[in-house]
Amino acid sequence: MTYLEIPAPRLALALGLIALAIGLSRLARLGLERDLGLGTVRAAVQLTAIGYGLRLLFAHPSPLAIFGLLALMTAVAAFTSTRRVPDGPGTRELFPYALVAILGGAAIAVLPMMLFVIRPKPWFDGRYVIPIGGMMLSSAMNVVAQVFERLFATARVERPVIEQALALGATPAQSVAPYMRAALRGALTPTINGLVTVGLVALPGMMTGQIVSGAAPEQAVRYQIVIMYQLVAVAAVSGYLAAAFARRLLFTSGARLRAEG
Amino acid sequence: MPAPCLEVERVTVRRGTTVVVDAASLRLGEGAIVTIEGASGSGKSTLLRAIATLLPTASGTLSFRGLDVATLSLPDYRRQVAYVPQLPPMFDGTVAENVAAGPRFRGATLAADVVAKLLTRVSLDAGLATRAASSLSGGEKLRVALARALANEPVALLLDEPTSALDPASAHHIVDLVVELARAGTAVLAVTHSAEHAARLGGLHYRMTAGVLGVVAPP
Repeated sequence: MTYLEIPAPRLALALGLIALAIGLSRLARLGLERDLGLGTVRAAVQLTAIGYGLRLLFAHPSPLAIFGLLALMTAVAAFTSTRRVPDGPGTRELFPYALVAILGGAAIAVLPMMLFVIRPKPWFDGRYVIPIGGMMLSSAMNVVAQVFERLFATARVERPVIEQALALGATPAQSVAPYMRAALRGALTPTINGLVTVGLVALPGMMTGQIVSGAAPEQAVRYQIVIMYQLVAVAAVSGYLAAAFARRLLFTSGARLRAEG
Repeated sequence: MPAPCLEVERVTVRRGTTVVVDAASLRLGEGAIVTIEGASGSGKSTLLRAIATLLPTASGTLSFRGLDVATLSLPDYRRQVAYVPQLPPMFDGTVAENVAAGPRFRGATLAADVVAKLLTRVSLDAGLATRAASSLSGGEKLRVALARALANEPVALLLDEPTSALDPASAHHIVDLVVELARAGTAVLAVTHSAEHAARLGGLHYRMTAGVLGVVAPP
């Protein structure tokens, strides 16, 4: 069984879908035409680059290249996760924490599955570790961004309540415990929703990709099950680490909330 | 002479590069009342928050019963020196859960009859215990906040404008209650912009002007 290749001219036809969205944006005066245009170009350029990059990588596999690419992906994910945290201490201070939270979640999700479940030879075979690692890093990035954004914003709004708890003898951890729980629940909810609806509502990308390229559906499904469970671990571990780091950044050594702005 | 309950020695508090409290010194004896009067923005609430260790001090020392607060466990210190802000926020949950918050933070539970006693002590109906704290009026919230502070059995109360958000009758009631607490042995450091309430509270009066603290009336 082979899969159907898409020649470049026919790929351009897909741009019609973007034209449709741009047209609607203009009609409804959403002002998103520029963002849509830029996003379209970026997606095409980035995906084409990674396509050729992976081709090169698979042709000349080397641990250095594979881990180098994964490191670059992790750094971009960490940087991106700190970009929209208006109440946080800023990208420069958040970045190392985001890096550890994203790497921690992704590593815990990916390494055991590579070593004991999927078992490619070698275990870091780029054909497996890069697409799966990418999915995990992307998910970790969103979870970390969401936890950071939410906890720092909540700490600003709920500052009087947190200080009242501290004034009553609460430890910093106790004073923000309800907000930590809410942020973590918020981070895990989409993943849990994904678990309960997968196969009913969504046929995820990895699985559909394998089916399109000719894999047996029942095998593609097994991969997808592994992926779904990995995503749960990523959300839990990266979310937990991000929340713990945010909590640490919220307080000074004197068990005080950091001064605003 | 025994060490005072609280001693503030040349404490300076900065916000950014601005000096908000300039080398303030005061003493609060065990079971005594001290009031700080001053206009809005004079720095009196900032000083109170610094004494509550919710704000860092730029210089000076803060001592509790003769010990430098910097060497103490802050949660322990804060339990003993209870800070009640001007508009005390309520935690989610019932009045009883709010009153029991302090003991809960140190892993203790507060029996229902103790909660009832604390509510009665601040002139609230013990039947309020099961009400949602968020549904209370401003005056009731302040009383619950006092009961919540008292649940930790503090040796000193730091009160920030305890009467500013209340109607005159409730305000007088709170002033009387604070005087009564002091008589029962709890030291009180109250910040107020009302000279009348400061006079009613009695004790030593300080005035804060543009960050500088001065004694107005001797005890």
